[in-house]
Amino acid sequence: MIHVAIFLPLVFGVLALLRPTGARALGLLGAAVTLVLGLFGYAAFLDGASAAYSAPLLAEAGVYYAVAWDGVGAVLMLAVVITTFLALLAARDVPPAMVGLTLMMESGLIGLLAAQDLVLFYVFFEATLIPSLLMLGLFGGAGRIRALVKFAIFTLVGSLLMLAGILALRYLGGAPSFLLADLADHPLGGVAGRWAFAAFLLAFMVKTPLFPLHVWLPDFHAENHPSGLADAMGTLYKVGLFGLFRWTLPLFPEAFALFQPWLLALAALTALGAAWTAYAQTDWKRLLAYGALSHMGVGALGLFSGTPEGAVGAIYLLAASGVYTGGLFLFAGGLHRRFGTLDLRPTSGLAKSAPGLAALGLILVLAMVGLPGLSGFPGEFMNLLGVWQASPVWTFVGFLAVIAAAAYALGAYQQIFHNAPDKPAPDLDAVEWQWGALAVLTVVFMGVYPKLFTGPLLTAAETLVAAMGGGR
Amino acid sequence: MTALLILFMTVLATTFAGFFAPARTTKALTLLGLVAAGVGLALDWGTTFQAFEGLYLLDPFAQGFTLVMIVGGVLALLADCDVHERRGWPPFEYYALVAFAVLGGHVMAATLHLGVVIVGLEVLSIPLYALAASRRDELGYEASLKYFLLGAVAAAIFLYGLALYFGATGGFVLGVAGEGLIYSAAVMMLLAGLAFKTALVPFHWWTPDVYQGSPTPVTLFMATAVKAAAFAAFARVLASVGLGGPVFYALAALVLLTVFWGNLAAMVQGEAKRMLAYSSVAHSGYIAVALFGPNPGPAMGYYLLAYALSTGLAFAVLTQLDEGRGVRLGELAGLWSRSPLLGLGWTVALLSLAGLPPLVGFWGKYLVFLEAARGGQYLLVALALFAAVIAAYYYLKLLAAALFARTEKAAKVTLSGSTPVGIALATLLVVLLGVLPGLGYGLFTAAAALPK
Repeated sequence: MIHVAIFLPLVFGVLALLRPTGARALGLLGAAVTLVLGLFGYAAFLDGASAAYSAPLLAEAGVYYAVAWDGVGAVLMLAVVITTFLALLAARDVPPAMVGLTLMMESGLIGLLAAQDLVLFYVFFEATLIPSLLMLGLFGGAGRIRALVKFAIFTLVGSLLMLAGILALRYLGGAPSFLLADLADHPLGGVAGRWAFAAFLLAFMVKTPLFPLHVWLPDFHAENHPSGLADAMGTLYKVGLFGLFRWTLPLFPEAFALFQPWLLALAALTALGAAWTAYAQTDWKRLLAYGALSHMGVGALGLFSGTPEGAVGAIYLLAASGVYTGGLFLFAGGLHRRFGTLDLRPTSGLAKSAPGLAALGLILVLAMVGLPGLSGFPGEFMNLLGVWQASPVWTFVGFLAVIAAAAYALGAYQQIFHNAPDKPAPDLDAVEWQWGALAVLTVVFMGVYPKLFTGPLLTAAETLVAAMGGGR
Repeated sequence: MTALLILFMTVLATTFAGFFAPARTTKALTLLGLVAAGVGLALDWGTTFQAFEGLYLLDPFAQGFTLVMIVGGVLALLADCDVHERRGWPPFEYYALVAFAVLGGHVMAATLHLGVVIVGLEVLSIPLYALAASRRDELGYEASLKYFLLGAVAAAIFLYGLALYFGATGGFVLGVAGEGLIYSAAVMMLLAGLAFKTALVPFHWWTPDVYQGSPTPVTLFMATAVKAAAFAAFARVLASVGLGGPVFYALAALVLLTVFWGNLAAMVQGEAKRMLAYSSVAHSGYIAVALFGPNPGPAMGYYLLAYALSTGLAFAVLTQLDEGRGVRLGELAGLWSRSPLLGLGWTVALLSLAGLPPLVGFWGKYLVFLEAARGGQYLLVALALFAAVIAAYYYLKLLAAALFARTEKAAKVTLSGSTPVGIALATLLVVLLGVLPGLGYGLFTAAAALPK
């Protein structure tokens, strides 16, 4: 079933590319089936029925097609399948080819979350770049080529050097294959370990992203198709924290211990700096880009704290952010459809004429702010709980970033919906009610019943912390 | 032996058939001959065969490299139609000369005797000089003359090295250990002579002009089959002398110069053929990265196959757009709407050349770097991978010029003859071998270590 979940979106994506007339229906069908498969997959995983599957892909070179669900992969996979479905539902006036590319991206994302072999992970990780680039290049705005080159070069500098790190990790560490289990038994230390760790770190810092490797992100979002579909998928593609959790920290415990203080500082700087920048934005997408960046900084702070709580918080925040940030990008797409602009300033006082829209916006924004009871809260709380144990100073900075979220996100919300003068706007239509309801349901569920997800995450996080030589 | 005989018969048949039959018949004969030679190879795949008192050595290494040459030849033949055909190109000699060149390349790959290598080298090169000028225009003559003069210099250097090698070891057969200044000079000259044909910087100066000036299908053939032949001989010489001392540093310098210079120079070109010419220079560097490993044969072979398919596909697409003056980047605009097959082929080819999975180019890169990592050369791997980022930049530029530039004019390109077959086949293989890399790599792992 896991293989079907990985490759079914790809099949539907290719079909949608071949049949432009029925692309939306095909895309929705594909995403819906994948969503159901994902939910069943998660249920089966909770029952413990998920077994690792492995077949040689390039056995002579130690590469296996090895996939399985573990706690981290399964939780993030849920965020992927839900958000992709939401995105395809919400973005209805997109070019047909975009639907196909979205499903191809979903395939790559599910694959990279399931991969248990480092090279296979790398293949999915890089392959996902192709549809992402094509979406930006084909359907982006006027400055898309510049944004595209920035995005591609940042990503590739990171990931190609990571490939060198991957080879060094295996041959210097002495692992017989690239399977996670083998690599974890042969962690790499010493000077070589530090260099290889730096290569991995570079790749995942670009994709988290962390200051100063985040500069591709605002342009990427600002230039992408205004519907928000590509932005939602791009948000899901920011798997840096996952890469660090699964493929970096457990494999280089020694190097991590050495870098830890610096990494905490970088994460805190990202969290606060991005929040500060977000406050000054007047474009919805740029604001969301910086806001999400700030939250990733908070997540990285938790992960780098080296505590199980922090690690769980990081992954939970990543999953929650996939849904609410993705939802907010789609929400911005709805505003663009109404007013033809993503600029915040000319829009104001919509709450009178469009109360449904205001409610949807409010819930998504509050999830981002981290209101208890919504999906952003558990992650942020656990993050800061973890960081407190490592460094109270950075916890304080993290708190500042979280508080700042209230300023920039609620500020934008107030401008659009409550500031004078009141402007008329059509309220939610049928499709928007559908995806809005689903998004709100997910956000609330993740907020009030996090235990369903944090249980498996905690197991994984404790394994991670044990591998890093910590643990209590 | 079957492959050699079939190639030889093909050469004879196509040379004479051209006088009596239309060019189309010659083309069919050549294609048939090449495919039959491939089948001949496949029948004895993985075994070693010697003839002529060891002068001819068909080991798995030679089989793998010959396969790449055949793939390059077949692609060059399949993609030769359209724009050119309407202008009376290619002449029937084109097909016979391609067959000659493949035969020469095969001989070069399948021997340990330096005298036979030079015979193969000339049988390979002389047809190419003629092919480069086969369109009978200024650019072609210039390309041909440049190629001929520099090729002659390269052959002379190789021959001088051969003479010194004889002086140092008392024989022409590779694998005799030697020492001393004369032996070192001999090895360096042999490698330098071959580095011309493989287009390693700083022996690459002919490449951009020749690639740009030759008819595009000829460029396709040079970039694929000729490179494979030259690298076969290069790897054999290197395997026999070992990677010790000065040879190691010389090779490392060649590799780094090649990947950086090739990619940086490609970045600033405004014409697609010239850009791909520099890209092919850079790819030579990546192929040579594998030489730092303990058993470079399979990785090199696979990289060459991946590269031949990808770059062959890219040149095949350009063939359909080139009217003899090259293809400026601006002329690529709207490729997808002009012909979806060309658009798809171009996209797949460039992403594969850039080394993105799941396309075959990624696995080629992965395997050569794996090989170098086995040899412990991590710094070299990291530097060469860094150069690949530069490469990604101009491949994206080429891709963006064709796909992302918004354009009004969209005169449809109609493909005819064997061209769509060639392009579709290459596209399919680039994707298929990328998704299931074991399928292609299995062919090359049969190749045992090179004889020392």
